[in-house]
Amino acid sequence: MFRYILRRLLQMVLTFFGATFIVYALMFANQDDPVQALAGDRPITDSQRQILTERYHLDEPFLQQYRYYMEGLLTGDFGTSLTGRRISDMMADAWPVTIKLALLAIVIAATVAITAGVVSGIRRAGTFDNVTLVLTLVILCLPIVVLAPLARLVFGVQLGWFPPTAGRDASWWALLLPAIVLGSLVVATQLRVTRSAVAENLRADYVRTARAKGLSGRRVIGVHVLRNSLIPVVTLVGVDIGNLMSGAIVTEGVFNIPGVGFNLFRGITTEDGPLVVGFVSILVIVFLVVNLVVDLLYAALDPRIRYA
Amino acid sequence: MRDPGVVTGVAGPAPAADRPRGLAGDAWRDLRRSRTFWIAAVLVALFLVMAAFPALFTPADPRACTLDRQYDGPSGTAFFGYDFQGCDTYARTVYGARNSITVGILATLIAGVIGLVVGLAAGYLGGWADAVLSRVVDVVLGIPFLLGAIVLARRLSQNASDDGVLAVVLTLGLLGWTTAARVVRSSVISAKNQDYVAAARMLGAGPARLMMRHILPNSVAPFIVVLTVLLGANIATEATLSFLGIGLQGDAISWGIAINESGRFVRSAAAPLVWPSVFLALTVLAVIMLGDAIRDAFDPKLR
Amino acid sequence: MLGKRPWKMAAGAAAIALLAAGCTGGGSDDSEDSADSVVIGIVEPQHLVPSNTTETAGSQVLASLYYPLVTFDAKKQPVETAAESITSDDNKVWTVKLKPGFTFHNGEPVTADNYIDAWNYGAYAPNGQGGSYFYSRIDGFVDLQAKDPDGEEGPQKAPAPKAKTLTGLKKVDDTTFTVTLSAPFAGWKAVMGYNSFYPLPKAAFSAPGVLAEGFEDAPVGNGPFKMKGKWEHDSEIKVERYADFKGTAPKVNGITWKIYQDQQAQYADLVAGNVDVQTQIPLESLASASGDLGDRLQRSPNSSFQFVGFPTFLKEFQNRDVRRAISMAIDREEMTKQIFLDSETPATSFVSPVVTGYRPNSCGEFCVHDPAKAKQLYTKAGGPSEIRITYNTDGPHKAWVDAMCNQLKAALGVNCIGVGEPKFSDMLTKVKAREPVGLIRLAWVMDYPLMESYLGPLYSTTGSSNYYGYSSTAFDNLLAQGSAARTPQEAIKKWQQAEDILADDMPVIPLRFGQNVYGFSDRVANVSVDLFRKVDIYKIELVAGK
Repeated sequence: MFRYILRRLLQMVLTFFGATFIVYALMFANQDDPVQALAGDRPITDSQRQILTERYHLDEPFLQQYRYYMEGLLTGDFGTSLTGRRISDMMADAWPVTIKLALLAIVIAATVAITAGVVSGIRRAGTFDNVTLVLTLVILCLPIVVLAPLARLVFGVQLGWFPPTAGRDASWWALLLPAIVLGSLVVATQLRVTRSAVAENLRADYVRTARAKGLSGRRVIGVHVLRNSLIPVVTLVGVDIGNLMSGAIVTEGVFNIPGVGFNLFRGITTEDGPLVVGFVSILVIVFLVVNLVVDLLYAALDPRIRYA
Repeated sequence: MRDPGVVTGVAGPAPAADRPRGLAGDAWRDLRRSRTFWIAAVLVALFLVMAAFPALFTPADPRACTLDRQYDGPSGTAFFGYDFQGCDTYARTVYGARNSITVGILATLIAGVIGLVVGLAAGYLGGWADAVLSRVVDVVLGIPFLLGAIVLARRLSQNASDDGVLAVVLTLGLLGWTTAARVVRSSVISAKNQDYVAAARMLGAGPARLMMRHILPNSVAPFIVVLTVLLGANIATEATLSFLGIGLQGDAISWGIAINESGRFVRSAAAPLVWPSVFLALTVLAVIMLGDAIRDAFDPKLR
Repeated sequence: MLGKRPWKMAAGAAAIALLAAGCTGGGSDDSEDSADSVVIGIVEPQHLVPSNTTETAGSQVLASLYYPLVTFDAKKQPVETAAESITSDDNKVWTVKLKPGFTFHNGEPVTADNYIDAWNYGAYAPNGQGGSYFYSRIDGFVDLQAKDPDGEEGPQKAPAPKAKTLTGLKKVDDTTFTVTLSAPFAGWKAVMGYNSFYPLPKAAFSAPGVLAEGFEDAPVGNGPFKMKGKWEHDSEIKVERYADFKGTAPKVNGITWKIYQDQQAQYADLVAGNVDVQTQIPLESLASASGDLGDRLQRSPNSSFQFVGFPTFLKEFQNRDVRRAISMAIDREEMTKQIFLDSETPATSFVSPVVTGYRPNSCGEFCVHDPAKAKQLYTKAGGPSEIRITYNTDGPHKAWVDAMCNQLKAALGVNCIGVGEPKFSDMLTKVKAREPVGLIRLAWVMDYPLMESYLGPLYSTTGSSNYYGYSSTAFDNLLAQGSAARTPQEAIKKWQQAEDILADDMPVIPLRFGQNVYGFSDRVANVSVDLFRKVDIYKIELVAGK
């Protein structure tokens, strides 16, 4: 087990460099005219273009730019964004609120998904199952660009249950509505996977055995069925944690949260390589650590799974 | 069938037939009796016909729009009234089926195939293969979707003067397989440690047979579920791409675009938002039902 | 543990979430200063250095921190504010005399040197200031620029410019300085109203010509408000009243500039009472805004001008009759009414109504909707059977481009496609690469209230925003003659003649003029939004008892 973890940590280092390289390369490929992208609709002067191009090495070849970046990164310097701000400052502003939002969202989503998934898996084609199916369809068919503003309008403005926007230093309370909206992105898959896994495991031999042994229905479901059903669900939750951090672009915009998704979006649209890669490098670490934890959880959930 | 994996001496509720049949034969017999399957099949057929021959459903031109009909109520064959631009909402919903269904099905297929292959290989082979494949998954997960989409869409649309469907399909497919891969891997890891697999292996089943006969059927359930949901998500995500100018090009019509645009003005009129959403919901419903029915039919534990 | 108590665990997690939510709920952390200050929504400014600020948000914040040399009266004529007098005999040498007694927020007195240093800094090319083009009329500007010897792509770096200071700026005494232009310009006084012409304190520089690090996060100005804390990026900028300010006193004690990424989010906060002023209500909310806000929804003119341009490299639009026909096929009224709900007005001239010298309908019959005539002219001139309109999808353009396409389809019997590019720069890249972009979507807001602020950048051969490559010697000459004219009246006459050439050539199709459609909360009164889309911070006041 210890050796397994050690090996995974070593792989992480390689993956980290691989991922940052690829993302840097993608940003480079996406780079047409960052100076104009930064200026938006406004015209820019030749001298300004010249200065910015030189300051950020925009005219140098890809590998050279990457080398400058990595040299900085290895000394703990994330560099400066094209807007002149230190990227480490931007990350210190953005990460805390995004982590809060993503964790809240995943807790809400996983709680709802697993509870509802288990119930509808036990009583397939029952009323509860059909109601959750319809709700799932509604969520699925309203893309987040529609759902998020709608939620803000109804619950934030018209009913006034929640603050309509959250902001950078948002309280948990202000983040609750955005987290519910964000969680709805992933709740559908988690719910349906839980439901199918529970339904499947209910028919497994060991359940019959357990029931035959005279165990109570609750214990059968709690111990045997749920435990075996959680493996795919835990996998999904693991992937979703990272996805919710990077993919909250719309939700963060709608609720005015200047978090990671917002910064990635800004970096991508202004062709700001260092900014995007800086955020991605942390994001990759999140994915790697979470996926390692998930893999270890497999062994905890199913004793038959062993890591050498 | 002397297959230990399908042994399950405990017979299903239906009396077993006399003559041995293949898994597919059993499945088909079950499917024919399933009401869910037939409802789903009819819905799917309906939408496929709509995608192929939209003119069968409406005589109107979905691109004939004029602002003086903005938000007018239903009239003639415009059963759902008119939208913000004064287009026939019903006609646009019918004509939107083709792009949406093409994008949904093809992108999901691509993601499914890549996810299945990577997941199976990583989960079954383990060791080095798993390490490499899983880290590739991690890297792809780390690429922000928007960035990947912009780069892919740009490179792909440079040598295509089409409406951008191919670019959208490839973008969604090539960036959307990671969840499927990790889920397949997880269920393969869990399945290959089951007793019946060990039993089959001891009885001399080769790797290919183990994979096809035992591991795959027992780990495919969550995969199918992920795919059915992904299909709906892909149809909706297409709208986001188009909204950002990297999706369907020009005057392309799709449910996603319709939902997206009318969603912004939902306080002025709800019908242009509701109808394409309902069509999208029915498509996803049909696919979910179909997935459920087929999985039940193929599930060896139900035998 | 996971297997044994899954229900409890799930319930526990839910409880923790709710608890966390509940116990921090209700408490509002900005109640302490909401009592005497107002909250105004903006987007994240790009910069807060006066000479580097060219967009509305930064300009708006700077307007609270700095006091301009001139401001504009109701007739858009420049009137002195920080300046005692601005005079010139020949429109070439301008003498600026400052009002005495003004100090920066750090206590430094405001002197002529502060202006000269700030402008020199802004004009010096290696500082890369976005507003540097404002100084280009000042004598000696070219010597502060440097041309890269082998072009941008080449390996060589640009040499240092010949000079570091503008020869046209001369200090007379502590409160007087002269500005010498390279050529006479009657409108110079108006130009100096822009934020590039604010002064900077000595504290702004760590060495001569070097901006102190961190200055931008807490700029020190000479205006009615001073920074309260630092620029909280993407979140807010707080300013409070500067007690020693000698100019017109504002009526509120502080302003919180609250930063929004999304205009709809800001609107939600306006309706919920978390923001006091929103200067532009987003299109999506306009239909319900009068219901939400009542008479707190108001309109005022602004300088924005929306149009489409014809890239000159596209052969199919080279016949001017094709351009005229397309213009006549557009029903501007219908578009502004149905798509923009009257938040914009139809444009039938090439300069905005907010500048002196504007004539309604200078475009003549070619901007009058007449589909029959348009079709006839279009067919005769052999216009293309497919028209593309390229726009950037990061702005709210799809709706009107689609509507315009539908109008063209109906009137001209052509196919018309709106092509969205992710951002403005992507569109420009395609234009530069001479790709078949079709018509391109463009807009302009003026820098100063003169016709020249439209005519120069948009239609002159060297214009900074002339992306379509229009070039007319006759036009350029008239423009130059207007700028060199002795009096504003003479200038306007020349500029109007230049505009007539545009009406004849139709290098662009005027579509719409913008308006500020702004809303405010019931906490504030006397809210007005000016031509530059800025809230008047001197007029706004809190309603007693709210």
